Amino acid sequence: MTHVILVVEDNERNLKLLRDVLEYTGYDVRAARTAEDGITLAVSEPPDLVLMDLQLPGIDGMEALRRLRESPRTAGIPVVAVTAQAMKQDRERALAAGFDGYVEKPISVRAFLDQVRRFLPGEEAGTE
Amino acid sequence: MVEREKRKPADQDPAINAEITTEIERLADELAEVREQLAATSEVLAVIGRSASDLEGVLETVVESARKLCGADVGQVLLVDGDRYRLAYGSGMTSEYREFIANNPVVLDRETLVGRVGLDRRATQITDVLVDPDYGRTDAQRVAGYRTVMGVPMLLDGEVVGVLSLWRTQVDPFSDRAVEVLTTFAAQAALAVRTVDLVRALESRTDELGRKVTQLEALGAVGQAESFSLNLTEVLNTIITQAVQLSGTDGGSIYEFDEDAREFRVETVCGTSPEELEALRRIRIGLDDTFIGKAATLGRPLELMDLRDAPLDPHLSVLAESGWRSLVAVPMLREGRIVGAMVIRRYTPGRIPQEICNLLETFASQSALALINAQLYRQLERQSAALEVASQHKSEFLASMSHELRTPLNAIIGFSEVLLERMFGELNERQDDYLRDIWSSGKHLLELLNDILDLSKIEAGQMVLNRSEFDVRESLEYCLSLVRERAIKQRILLSLEVGPEVGLVNADRLRFRQVVLNLLSNAVKFTPDGGRVDVRASVRDQDLVVTVADTGPGVAAEDRQRIFDSFQQGTRHTEQVEGTGLGLTLSKRILELHGGRIWVESEAGQGSRFGFAMPAGAREPALRSVPQAALDSGLTTEPAPGPGPTVVVVEDDRRSFDLLRVYLETAGARVVGARDGEEGLDTVRRLSPAGVILDILLPGVDGWEVLAQLKADPGTAAIPVIVVSMLDERGRGFALGATEYLVKPVGKEQLLAALYRAAAMPERKHTVVAIDDDPLAIELVRASLEPEGWTVLGAATGQDGLSLIRERKPSAVLLDLLMPGMDGFEVVEALRADPDTKTVPVVILTSKSMTRQDKERLQGRITYVARKTEFDVSGLAGLLRWVSTSRQSPASESG
Repeated sequence: MTHVILVVEDNERNLKLLRDVLEYTGYDVRAARTAEDGITLAVSEPPDLVLMDLQLPGIDGMEALRRLRESPRTAGIPVVAVTAQAMKQDRERALAAGFDGYVEKPISVRAFLDQVRRFLPGEEAGTE
Repeated sequence: MVEREKRKPADQDPAINAEITTEIERLADELAEVREQLAATSEVLAVIGRSASDLEGVLETVVESARKLCGADVGQVLLVDGDRYRLAYGSGMTSEYREFIANNPVVLDRETLVGRVGLDRRATQITDVLVDPDYGRTDAQRVAGYRTVMGVPMLLDGEVVGVLSLWRTQVDPFSDRAVEVLTTFAAQAALAVRTVDLVRALESRTDELGRKVTQLEALGAVGQAESFSLNLTEVLNTIITQAVQLSGTDGGSIYEFDEDAREFRVETVCGTSPEELEALRRIRIGLDDTFIGKAATLGRPLELMDLRDAPLDPHLSVLAESGWRSLVAVPMLREGRIVGAMVIRRYTPGRIPQEICNLLETFASQSALALINAQLYRQLERQSAALEVASQHKSEFLASMSHELRTPLNAIIGFSEVLLERMFGELNERQDDYLRDIWSSGKHLLELLNDILDLSKIEAGQMVLNRSEFDVRESLEYCLSLVRERAIKQRILLSLEVGPEVGLVNADRLRFRQVVLNLLSNAVKFTPDGGRVDVRASVRDQDLVVTVADTGPGVAAEDRQRIFDSFQQGTRHTEQVEGTGLGLTLSKRILELHGGRIWVESEAGQGSRFGFAMPAGAREPALRSVPQAALDSGLTTEPAPGPGPTVVVVEDDRRSFDLLRVYLETAGARVVGARDGEEGLDTVRRLSPAGVILDILLPGVDGWEVLAQLKADPGTAAIPVIVVSMLDERGRGFALGATEYLVKPVGKEQLLAALYRAAAMPERKHTVVAIDDDPLAIELVRASLEPEGWTVLGAATGQDGLSLIRERKPSAVLLDLLMPGMDGFEVVEALRADPDTKTVPVVILTSKSMTRQDKERLQGRITYVARKTEFDVSGLAGLLRWVSTSRQSPASESG
């Protein structure tokens, strides 16, 4: 079984990094460059995990999380913030808002994968 | 006395002539006297105006003038001071009399002239004190020798504040004229006393305001605005009220000058209706087109005798409408700058005497001071508001800068990591090298960014220390473990020496580590291969002192201060010592927050020794809870508080003991020391410890004897004894009953393994066995995992590894594939074949490129394959945590 991960990220390079790393590890990656697109994608085909940037054009990550939680189809999906906001209060705010995890950019690829796995319980990580 | 004018007689009639001459001479005399009196009076007023707070100066002028004008031998001013008179100024008297009168003061009774003047409140003369039956102070008379005395009261608001008196040593009564002169002078003296009191009060209030400003400035606080402005209003109110009262006018106002707008604003009023004040507030009182503006520009008081005849400006119009007729405008100047103006007004037309104007100038200068303080205060208020905004902007800027920099850094670090992980194929050596450069440059930028954020937090006063009491040695060891990897690569010897007096410190643990780590990584970075870095900790005068010495190139004298100041405002060092970044600056600030300091001792080419000191501050002042005697010997005789099993260490060498204690304590044991055999026996019998570490070469009763006695005693026979000695006499040791026998030098792992085998201590939960023929690789694993709480057991061969795994049942195994003898593949097969070890998770850590065959061979039997290319601390620890908690997962691969 291959896990589907939705990455919501507006920075092309960072999106590419996350996507390449995740795909390489064996995940099925869906990408969205705005929160609106992300929500549409998540509702139409609920992923196993959402990786969400916080600063996005249009509605931001916080609001997107709120909307995902509102919809019964997406309410149960773990959502992890992946953000360049590094102030202590940013992390606290995100976790208080209901994000399941908080990954600070720049990411450490291995630690990142480790964290991703943690949100996919019982996953059988992709082999070759 | 007065030089008389000689005039030629106008007529020839000698009688008339004589009469006229006499009359003329009399008039001339009088005129001269009046002139002289006027001159003296104005002199007094001038003194009052010039130095209002100089009472002595004013009284001197008054007394000297009066004495001269009235032809007295002595003149004096006595001021009421409680129930007596105090000599405030005397002229012409002997020092003997001064002393006498100071010891035998004049009191408020009828025995003296001064006393009578005070009681009767009028001018009085005694023609000859020696014939006055009521005169009681013949004692004073004998000292001073006066005969005719005269005095007038100094009245203020109907109250006697003092007496101005004159005397002659001959019986020679003073004229009525003299009485008049003296009365005038007394009034002036009284005014001076009043002015001085007032000015002093004002000065003290002004000082208070000044202090408050300074205080506020220092505090950067604005919370006291209300009390401050109340104080200001009160001060200005007092000034204007007193000015109006003293000048005998009907009302007045104080204006503040606004330099930018070039206009005056009314600050406070006296004798003025609220409507009028409102009207004054509504109009613009410009500098260039108003009467008070003119006075201010000229820098002297201007008088207006009748508003009805004067050209009216907006300000004067308001006053004229309210019925005011005359006024004086007094400018308030400070160092040539216009600060404001004071206006005194009357409902009647006419002149305001010059001396009043002089007095008003004194008040005006006081008001100027108060206003300046107020301006300073308001400026402060504005500045702090601006600062607050600026600080808000700064925070926002920093947050956004941090975000903006992290975004590209993510790509830089992330992509280079991906390539270094060989996710997309093998790299040649140069590619690998360049990618490492990219990766570490990215990491360096990230560090700088984090340091900048920390520094700004400190600058903004937002860094809050999270203090706790923690073990200094443990923290230092932790930091050492973080640089060990790099030190090993550079063959740098790391050493740690912690004085026996060093125990707990009260500080922010993370920040403490940040400082130590910064010094350590600088030391390792700048020390050439094969050098050494020595860390020492001690307690001096309640201060914890930590030094980090290296054998690097040293720091040049001119850099020794500035390496700590790279973030200092206004100083920019383009040739900043490369690579130190902001870490030292940050360390300095962190230490300052702890009340500590940092320094460097260095000689170019001789290495450097960085040190820092901070108050130890722990409740047990940086000492472990041990008796002083034990401290002196460097050994503990009582167990330190802690949850672990007690282990008695019988060891006479302090350094060896310290080392053993560190090893045992980091594994959770409570360590009790004994410095000789006898003490050892006694301690073991008393404490029944979980284990004993025994040295053989001891003073007095030696280790063999101790071992024999312990094993002979049924009460202690069961306690495992681990011999740790220079002597390699295992046979003898085991024969006497030793559970384990280790030959010095003994490593931590060896010691702990022996203790675990002897079951003297329960093993820590997370243990990993690392099997690798490369000792460096095991050191790297240790460096990565020990800080995360793992116990790392190393094995150099597959065979050793297997027996270690069977014996210790670790929570994970890190395995190299390519090893001489039994290789990794065989180890995996052996492990999977044994039911006892079948489930232990195995992580392959290899630099070998995995072939399809390799993978097939391992498939299903291992948990994870990681490449040796990079040691990411959190990565490896996280990985191991993950594999050890999900044991059944089949193979997956990263790298």
